[in-house]
Amino acid sequence: MTTYLARRLAASLVTLWAVVTVVFFLLRVAPGGPFDGERRLTPEVEANLRAAYHLDEPLVAQYARYLGMLLRGDLGPSFRSKDFTVNELIAGGLPVSLTVGGLALALAAGLGIAAGTGAALARDGPRDRWLTFAATAGLALPPIVVAPLLVLVFAVTLGWLPAGGFTTPAHAVLPAVALALPYLAAFTRLTRGSVAETLTAPHVRTALAKGLPTRRIVARHLLPPALIPVVSFLGPAAAALLAGSMVIEEVFSLPGLGRYFVQGALNRDYTLVMGTVVVYATLILVFNLAVDLLYSRLDPRIRLGRTGRGG
Amino acid sequence: MRYLPLVLSAPVLLAGAVDAKVLCIGNGGEPETLDPHRYNLRLEETILNDLFLGLTTFDAHGNIVPGAAERWSVSDDGLVWTFELREDGKWSDGQPVTAGDFVYAFRRLLDPATAASLAHFMYPVRNAAAVNAGELPPTALGVRAEAPRTLVVELEQPFPFFTERLIYPTGYPVPAHTVEVLGADWVKPGRMVSNGAFVLEDWQPHAHVTLRRNAHFHDADSVTLDGVRYLPTADSYAAFNRYRAGEIDAIGDFPSSEMDWVRKNLADHLRLTPLVSIMYLVFNVTQPPFDDARVREALGIAIDRELLTGRVMRSDEVPSVSLVPPMVPGYRSAVAAAGTRDARLERARELLGDAGYGPDKPLNVTLRYISGDESKRVQVAIAAMWKDIGVATTLHHTELKSHFADLRQGNFEVAQAGWFGENNPEHYLNLLVSDTGDVNYGRFASAAFDALMDRAHAEADLARRIGLLREAETVGLAEHPVTPLYAVTIRALVDPRIGGWHANPRNVHGARYLTWNER
Repeated sequence: MTTYLARRLAASLVTLWAVVTVVFFLLRVAPGGPFDGERRLTPEVEANLRAAYHLDEPLVAQYARYLGMLLRGDLGPSFRSKDFTVNELIAGGLPVSLTVGGLALALAAGLGIAAGTGAALARDGPRDRWLTFAATAGLALPPIVVAPLLVLVFAVTLGWLPAGGFTTPAHAVLPAVALALPYLAAFTRLTRGSVAETLTAPHVRTALAKGLPTRRIVARHLLPPALIPVVSFLGPAAAALLAGSMVIEEVFSLPGLGRYFVQGALNRDYTLVMGTVVVYATLILVFNLAVDLLYSRLDPRIRLGRTGRGG
Repeated sequence: MRYLPLVLSAPVLLAGAVDAKVLCIGNGGEPETLDPHRYNLRLEETILNDLFLGLTTFDAHGNIVPGAAERWSVSDDGLVWTFELREDGKWSDGQPVTAGDFVYAFRRLLDPATAASLAHFMYPVRNAAAVNAGELPPTALGVRAEAPRTLVVELEQPFPFFTERLIYPTGYPVPAHTVEVLGADWVKPGRMVSNGAFVLEDWQPHAHVTLRRNAHFHDADSVTLDGVRYLPTADSYAAFNRYRAGEIDAIGDFPSSEMDWVRKNLADHLRLTPLVSIMYLVFNVTQPPFDDARVREALGIAIDRELLTGRVMRSDEVPSVSLVPPMVPGYRSAVAAAGTRDARLERARELLGDAGYGPDKPLNVTLRYISGDESKRVQVAIAAMWKDIGVATTLHHTELKSHFADLRQGNFEVAQAGWFGENNPEHYLNLLVSDTGDVNYGRFASAAFDALMDRAHAEADLARRIGLLREAETVGLAEHPVTPLYAVTIRALVDPRIGGWHANPRNVHGARYLTWNER
C-alpha cells in the first residue's frame, strides 16, 4: 500500500510537471500580450513593463525561473492584478469555489444517489419514470440556462435570496443549486442503472430470498458494489465542481477561482493562468487518487498495488 | 453629518440613518491596480478619482476645476506652468500635501523602474520622454518645487489642454513618506494614504473595493456619503439582475436588449449620456483595395449613420461625420455630410466604377469587429448598406484583445475601432498623424495633414491652434482614411434616491458630489 501510494504520488508529480510545461509554452503562442489594454502603450513603456516582469528574457530562462518559483510555492505576481500576487488571488478565490462547489457536490451526490436508488427499487413504476424524466431534463439544461432563471425567479421576482455577490451563507445557495443540477441528474441516472444491475446479482438475490429487511439489503449488500461506477464519477465531478465554474461565477458575481482561469487567459495573464492550472491539475490528481483508494473500500476484490491498476 | 469613526468601522450599514450611506456602484470590472502611476483602465480612474486629488479635478458636472492647486498661471510662450497649492491640502494621515510630493510623483511616474503603462500621458512635460526611456535621470524632468506650495512645470511644447491632462491619475501626487517606506505595499488597504475625498478601506479581488470618507479632506464637510463600494460587475446581465434585486444602487451599463423593458419599467432610473468618444471604421491603406481613396470614400458614404444610431443602436447615440466627437467644446468640424442617401449611393457606385469595380467584378471586403451582440448588429447593418452598392462583405469577429492586437499589427482590411478619453480635438486627430505609432491602425500618412498638425502642436494660442486642427481634419478626412460613425452612449441605471448625479460627456461622477436621499 505504501509503495503504491509513493508510486502514485511520483506519477502525479510528473503529470503536474508535464501539464505546467505544456501550458507554459502554449500560453506564449497565443496572440496579444499581457499589457495590451484599452489604451496604447509606447514602445518605451512596453519595454519597461516587459523588463519589470522578466518578459525580456529568453523563453527558456523564463521557464526555468517559473519552475524555480513553483518549487518554492511562489506562483509569482499577477500581470493584470498588479497589486496582488497569484498566491493572494488564489487564497481569496479558492475558499469561495470550495464552499459553493462542496455544497453543490453534497447536493448532487447525496440527492442523486438517493433518487437513483429510489428509482431503481421502483423499476418501471411511475416513480421511476418520473425521476428518470427529471434526470434527463436536468442533464439537458446547462447552468448557463438554469442560473439566470434561478436569479430571475428567486432573487429578482421573489426576493428570497441574493442575486449575486458572496458575503453571507445565503449567497452560496443559488449558485450551488445551479451548479449541482446537471451533476445531480448524472448521479441519479448513474446510480439507477448501477443499482438496477446489482439487484440481479446472485448475492443480492440470496439476501432477498433470505427475507432480510430491505433497508439492510440496500445498505449492506446492494449499495457498496453498486456505487463503484458512481464513485469513479465522483472524482472528476468533485474536481470540476470544486475548481469553480466560470459560468456560475459570472452569473452570480462570485469572487471564485473559475473566472481567474478564463479572465486570466483572455487577459494573457500568464502567471494567473499558470497558477489556476496548477491548482486544477492538483485537484484532479488528488481526487483521482482518492477515488482509487475508495474502490478498495467498496469492493474487496480490488487490491491496490498488486494488479498494477491505477498506476 | 459629522465624521463618526466608530460608526464607520462597523461592518453593517446604518439602517435608519437618513443622511449616511455607503453607496454600492457597479463599476464594470475588476481594477488591475489602485496605484495611480501604474493604472491603465477607465474603471480604475473612477475609483482613483475618489481616492486622490490632482492639481486639477472635476466638478459635479464634469468640468475641470482647481483641485490640489488653488490657482495657476502660464507663461506667454505657453511653456512654463506655475501652480499654487491649497494651504489646507492634506494626506489622509494628516500630513500636508506639498509641491515636493508632486515632484516626487512626476519623477516616479516617468522613472522606467515604475513601469507606468500610461507614463506617456505626461510626455508633454520637458524631458519626460527621455527620462521614461532611461536616457536621462528622473531628476532631469522639467518639474520643481519653488516653495513648499509652489510647483513649476516646464513643457516641451505649448499645450493649452494641460489642465485637462492633469485630471488623469498619472498626474496625481503620491505620498513620498509612505511609498518610500512601504514600497509596492503602499497601495494595500489599511496602508494606503491618499489625498482625495475618500480613503481605501478594503479590497477583495473580484468582490468589491470599498472606500471610506476621508476626514482630512479639505472639503470633507461637503461630503455626505459615508463611503462607496465599487463592485466589479463585468457581466452586464448579472449587474442588471442585481440592480433589479436592489443590491446595487447604480450601474454604468446594462444589456441593450433590455432597453425597451427599462424604458417601460425603470424610466426614472435610466440615464442615457452621450460619451465624448468616437466609433469609426478604419481602412488599411497599405494594401488593395483600400490603398485607393475612391474605394474608401465609396464605402464611407454608403453608410447611413442615422439608421445605425436610430434603428440599430437605439440609445441616443450621436452620429458624427467628424473624427472629433460632436460634443467637444469649442470645435466645429468643417467636414460636411454628403447629401441625401440616394445621391450618396449613386456617387458611391460611381466611385467604385472608377476604381474598377462593378457587377462584373464585385468588391469583396472583410470587415473585422469585436465579439458581442450589439457590435454584431451594427456590423451586419453596415454590411447590408454596402450590399446596396454591390459590395460583398465577410464579417469576422474576435475578442477585444485579439482585435486590437491585430489592428495594431495592421492585420486587417477594414475594421471597427473606437477612441475615447479627452475632451479636446487633438486627442482624436492625433490618431491619423503618420508617426503616431501603431494606433494609427490603417497606417495613414499624409504630408499635408502632418504639417498642419505639427503647426497646431507648436501653437500656444488656443483659438489659432483649434483653427489649424480644423484645417488639418478637413485635409486628412478628404482622403477618407477612416469613416467616423457615432459617439457611444453610456446606458446607466441610477437609483432615483441618488442625488448629485449630473449627466456629462466624460461620464464622471465623483462620489464626493453624490448624495443619498432616503424617501
